[in-house]
Amino acid sequence: MINFFKSFSTWIIIAVIAAILPLIFDSSFSLTLLSKMGVLIIFTVAYNMLLGQGGMLSFGHAIYFGLAGYASIHILNGIGEETLPYFPTVLFPFIGAIVGLFFGSLVGYVSTRRAGTAFAMISLGFCEMVTAMTLIFVIFFNGEDGIQTDRMVGPEPFGITFGPQIEIYYLILFWCLVAVALMYIITKTPFGRMSNAVRDNPERAAFIGYSVRRVRWQAFALSSMFAGAAGSLHALNYEHIGFESVSVVQSGAVLFMAFIGGAGHFLGPIVGAIGLTYLDSTLADVTEAWLLYLGLTFSGIVMFAPGGLAGLIVMHGPIARTDKKLLISLIKPYCLAISSVITGLIGLIGIIEMLYFRSLISKGEGEVVIFWTEFNANGIMSWLIFIALILVGIFLSKKTFPLAKESWDHAISVVKTEISNE
Amino acid sequence: MNNALQLKNVSKSFGEAKIIKNLNLEIKKNERHAIIGPNGAGKSTLFHLISGHYKLTSGKITLNNDEINNLEPHEINRKGLARSFQVTNIFPKMSVYENIRCGILWSMGFKYSIVRLVNGDKKLNEKTYSILEEINLKHCAHIPAGLLSYADQRALEIGITIAGGADTLMLDEPTAGMSNSETERAVNLIKQISEKRTLVVVEHDMGVVFDLADRISVLVYGEIIATDTPKKIRENKAVQEAYLGTEDH
Amino acid sequence: MDVILFTLFNGLLYGMLLFMLSSGLTLIFGMMGVLNFAHASFFMLGAYFAYQISKYIGFIPALFIAPLIIAFCGAMVEKYALRRVHKFGHVAELLFTFGLFYIIEELVQMIWGKVPVGYHVPEYMDFTLFSMSGMGYQAYAMFTLVVSIAMFIVLFSVLTKTRAGLIIQAALTHPEIVSSLGHNVPKVFMLVFGLGCALAGLAGVLAGNTLGTEPSMALSLGPIVFVVIVVGGLGSLKGALVASILIGIVQTTAISLDYSINNFIELIGFSVDIESLWRILIDLTISQIAPILPYLLLVLMLIFRPRGLFGNRDV
Repeated sequence: MINFFKSFSTWIIIAVIAAILPLIFDSSFSLTLLSKMGVLIIFTVAYNMLLGQGGMLSFGHAIYFGLAGYASIHILNGIGEETLPYFPTVLFPFIGAIVGLFFGSLVGYVSTRRAGTAFAMISLGFCEMVTAMTLIFVIFFNGEDGIQTDRMVGPEPFGITFGPQIEIYYLILFWCLVAVALMYIITKTPFGRMSNAVRDNPERAAFIGYSVRRVRWQAFALSSMFAGAAGSLHALNYEHIGFESVSVVQSGAVLFMAFIGGAGHFLGPIVGAIGLTYLDSTLADVTEAWLLYLGLTFSGIVMFAPGGLAGLIVMHGPIARTDKKLLISLIKPYCLAISSVITGLIGLIGIIEMLYFRSLISKGEGEVVIFWTEFNANGIMSWLIFIALILVGIFLSKKTFPLAKESWDHAISVVKTEISNE
Repeated sequence: MNNALQLKNVSKSFGEAKIIKNLNLEIKKNERHAIIGPNGAGKSTLFHLISGHYKLTSGKITLNNDEINNLEPHEINRKGLARSFQVTNIFPKMSVYENIRCGILWSMGFKYSIVRLVNGDKKLNEKTYSILEEINLKHCAHIPAGLLSYADQRALEIGITIAGGADTLMLDEPTAGMSNSETERAVNLIKQISEKRTLVVVEHDMGVVFDLADRISVLVYGEIIATDTPKKIRENKAVQEAYLGTEDH
Repeated sequence: MDVILFTLFNGLLYGMLLFMLSSGLTLIFGMMGVLNFAHASFFMLGAYFAYQISKYIGFIPALFIAPLIIAFCGAMVEKYALRRVHKFGHVAELLFTFGLFYIIEELVQMIWGKVPVGYHVPEYMDFTLFSMSGMGYQAYAMFTLVVSIAMFIVLFSVLTKTRAGLIIQAALTHPEIVSSLGHNVPKVFMLVFGLGCALAGLAGVLAGNTLGTEPSMALSLGPIVFVVIVVGGLGSLKGALVASILIGIVQTTAISLDYSINNFIELIGFSVDIESLWRILIDLTISQIAPILPYLLLVLMLIFRPRGLFGNRDV
């Protein structure tokens, strides 16, 4: 009982903070960014129902997001032209949810016949199919231009037109809280637990009476439903929908967010969505190489920390619980290791930035600004400095990583002895 | 008929290779039945055939007079047959408590519900703890199952197997890789949980087999060459030749 | 008739190109279980390297050097990166190669820019070899066809006649056994990955100058290659060949067919007068739905016959 209230009050606090945010960050840039984050949080958490909770990798989840968006835009336009009866804007995520659920159930029924790599390939196939269809069936999808709409339709209860960005933000915030709360509750249901079980050991799950196929299909359908809800909010937010919303690129984006944030933990995708959306808006202006860094980070996480950021944090949980001093003992070796990596990274970033500068800006003349300092990309000095940094970084890492690993191993073995002594 | 499990003319081939040949076997209700045989005789294949993992090439398998040879594993499980695995097959990321709880869910009618919460359900909680007590793992209920010792994991494996309340249990080499004391503990547990159930056990440890079993079947090259009480099996010349003779213990 | 021949020729050409791409992927996937999402990226790199090399030395040297460089790159990727991921399972490998695809695309944009580069058919091959009823058969196209057939023959002989080849064949269907036979599996993996990428690179060298060399090459051709290997069957080079040519011909034919269901209905003497939605469907020409066909085939194949046409392993 107490726990429930504790969790509930956490939600309230988060809701209140989120509601105050636009009053603090009130530029239109911030508002747009916050709105975008809200939509993507729903989408990413929904995607993680499949990836992290269910153990299914899909390259085509944007289908439900985008199709729900298209449906919403059409209906909104229909209301505007008065060919369709009025439907309150606040309830549009329901439309998206129904569309998502419908298509998700269909595609899911067929896809969940297979698992693993085959499942991933089927999802890619469907995604490409739908993307191709949006460019072919111009009547429905209007090809490359996409479809515009005006969200200021119908009566205006309490003077709320949903014209201003701030009103849309609160709408998105509301649905974000509702959707995420629902998805959280679902993890605590019999279905939610079995979804985890099927992820961890499908063979075993079958032998405790559950149809693995049915569990996966249900996860797929529910995940698509919430993705659809996000899709309609996306359409409302931008008043536009285009073929990129169903594409592999969009599917890949949500995959990155969920995975980098940490697919194994409920909060992971939320962290990923917020973090990557923020970086995407800010870093993309600072450096041409933003997407390259993103790709490198993603691959790095796959190779070294497949649990994502959330995973890295959570894996220290048992250590913290056993003995806080153990956790503190890790700080020094970690700091050393991290600094060595950062040194090397600075070098790498410098080289990449200079390469971009030289290729994209017509064999760049003059100076390029990296880390707020000017470097001459045409002179040899800058190159040498960064290469030196890379080499130093590699050298230091070779020294500091074994130390960090040792401390980690030690801490874990202490934890394990504690457990077996219980 | 008093048979929990019955196999009639069961055959299984993988391509050209005939692994199980025209096998007939009757497991009586509430008996403890051991299946022994040299490596490669087809014991694991037999288990996989019964539990629905493999499809029969020909023949029939009935469970409590219900034909089960064309059913999916989860359907067979729902009819009252549960099995454990030779290689420990638990949910390593979940806690011990959650492992058992998952095993109970279907039998208590929770199905695929997204409207019921598992944490608050009193009956579910009680049942989970009672099983944890039975397998003696109550003290580590909230530890991730992957961190348990090998013997504890095997006990958990058995716990998951019985959690759903199946009355026919199949255990695949439950004491594999255990020390003497661990084996003793495991055998006691198995005796305890199979009190009112039918038990089919594949084992290599002859001490365990002769201690536990009411009847023993000997599987050699995909055929059962003898089914009888432990005493008679020990005296059986054909069995001695094929199997027991080479077994040093 | 001549139109059919011309279409078939182009279909065959496209098919052989697909085969060069998919043979490498079949080898990698069949043997290592790794679905190399970045396979088409190596194809793209092949085209770019060929462009760069042929600027300085010429096309023919590029034809040999570029694939070798790609082979080296692939082997290095396997040895230093992919190898780490093996222990996390096939899904993790797929994720890694997805990240790799992303990275290579960005790198290419970084070095060569976002606009197509001027990689052209070498002048001495840029002429019409012969014509049939106004349709010109390009000399370069013939050259490409000859090279790809030669590559197939070489690959086939290596796989069936040499010891290394036999090991690879065995590993394609029974990878577990290969390691127990005492072969250095990591090394074999590295070589196969390198070889697979080299084949993709070769395809890039040959096709880059006709298809256009630009950063979105990988994304446009990549998924079709997946279709090919699934339809053909995993671990089956024969299947990859058949599926490549099949899809090549189907695609090329479909694009040139401007007939719709409506045309067909009119042909048999009826005329349809329904309005709105159904009209759109029956007005669609085959050439318009051509882009969807391969994916439809992929999905159907994975659902009903996951082992493909000739494969003997399930996905």
